[in-house]
Amino acid sequence: MVNLLYTELLKLKRAKMFLVSVIGAAAAPVLMFIGFLNMKSEKPDTSVTYEISFYNTNMYVLLLSGTLLYGVITAYLFNREYVEDTLKNLLTIPVSRTSLLFSKLLMLLIWIVALTLISWGFTFIFGLIGGFDGLTIDVILYSLGRYLIGAVLLFLLSTPSIFVTFWFKNYVPTIIFTAIATMTNVALVDKKYSALFPWSAVHVVANKAYVPEYPVLYSVLAILAASIAGLAATIIYFNKSDIQ
Amino acid sequence: MSAIIRTTGLTKTYGDQKAVDRLDLTVGQGQIYGFLGRNGAGKTTTIRMLLGLIKPTEGQIELFGENLFKHKRNLLRRIGSIVEHSGFYENLTGAENLLINARLMGVHKKTAIRDALEIVSLHQEPKKLVGQYSMGMKQRLGIARAVLHHPELLILDEPTNGLDPIGIKEIRRLIKSLAEERKMTILISSHILPEIEQLADQIGIVHQGRLLEEVSFEELRKRNRKHLEFQVSDDNKAAMLLEKELDIHDYEVRGEGKIRVYSHIGRQAALNRLFVENGIDVSRLTISEDRLEDYFIKLIGGGTIG
Repeated sequence: MVNLLYTELLKLKRAKMFLVSVIGAAAAPVLMFIGFLNMKSEKPDTSVTYEISFYNTNMYVLLLSGTLLYGVITAYLFNREYVEDTLKNLLTIPVSRTSLLFSKLLMLLIWIVALTLISWGFTFIFGLIGGFDGLTIDVILYSLGRYLIGAVLLFLLSTPSIFVTFWFKNYVPTIIFTAIATMTNVALVDKKYSALFPWSAVHVVANKAYVPEYPVLYSVLAILAASIAGLAATIIYFNKSDIQ
Repeated sequence: MSAIIRTTGLTKTYGDQKAVDRLDLTVGQGQIYGFLGRNGAGKTTTIRMLLGLIKPTEGQIELFGENLFKHKRNLLRRIGSIVEHSGFYENLTGAENLLINARLMGVHKKTAIRDALEIVSLHQEPKKLVGQYSMGMKQRLGIARAVLHHPELLILDEPTNGLDPIGIKEIRRLIKSLAEERKMTILISSHILPEIEQLADQIGIVHQGRLLEEVSFEELRKRNRKHLEFQVSDDNKAAMLLEKELDIHDYEVRGEGKIRVYSHIGRQAALNRLFVENGIDVSRLTISEDRLEDYFIKLIGGGTIG
């Protein structure tokens, strides 16, 4: 697995996609900061705390930019072997298909966590620039924890996207799939069903945005069910499919 | 000679269409086996099955005497391959692409990558990204990747596809040297007869998924050399006369009264007279002018090879 992970990292050397994803990860903090500047220009006396800033940015990442961006990364990581016609080379090496799959999943997790930390870092820096209040060690640790929980949960939800990628062997269906998930997130914001739809449930769990109608366990189960179903479908399909 | 590749009743169907139909292929140790057929004949599907990329609908594959699907991981260590065009990560250099294979194949020798690049003369531009490689360079890098771990068996699917004549010549030279210097068994597929003719010592001709013929090139050339074929009443006596009277030694007694003479083309009247004057009845005389290409075209039922 170490060798597989090493090769996955090597494949990203000089890849423009990493830089593009960093720009994508900066989108939510930048938009939040623009919103802050706008508010300051209208109501100069209003103060913004780090706690609110971290919460809002994380919410935007989990419900909007992250769902879409991580979907694009997933499509890139898993579809590039088809696009660059390298899968046939990897599978004529004595490496099992399942090991290959898990090494890519591990790479995806590292990438998502890195982008999450970049989002957090931008939020932190913009807070310094904007002079946000309430910067304490507790706020830093708590927000980092929430960001990382959100990242792991969104990572778990990458498996249905991987299945769509393998099935269609194309970027477009995966992007459409994640765009639909993102639009559904938007439609369900502040509604009780947000706790049951796996992608919006990530925000419910990670940001403790619980709804009174459904216990948080339902949200966790919804995420796990989608993740396990996606993983099972992916493993079965990938192991059974012919490499043309 | 032990068989390195042996398929039995190998079949692959897609819906109603049989891409490969009960293929019995045998490649002996140390052979360069030319797998010849038109585009769409089933060559690539067969090769993908041999490498475990496609599961057969029916039939068995034995490599090095072991069942491929029971011992796939161990067997793949002993094989190097190119399947159609070589796919690479274009954002990496040639050496970095090979490093991926070296790590996953467990090749620890420090000079292995440089050695492989040297074999294909790609060691002089270490910083060039594969995205900037020409088609020929990519195919050469594909060969470097295939031989990086010193395999015993090399499976090459149309390795010269898309190359210019110089590139084709270069790849041919490489394959020949690998066979001679490293004593590899090589299966090479192509739809171009002259290419296979210059490399292979055994060929299998595949058409519409079926193996029509598996024969050595030596036998095939003999069979298709320009010759005179006499149907005579006594082939032993005829042979004796050829040697004694005309000093002809390039002939073949093929049984049932058939005798082939590979020299003295154009002097069939003199040979006929010699037989008749010595009491041998000649009931038929044919002059073969088949070229190998004509033979293949006949075999696959018309059209062209390519």
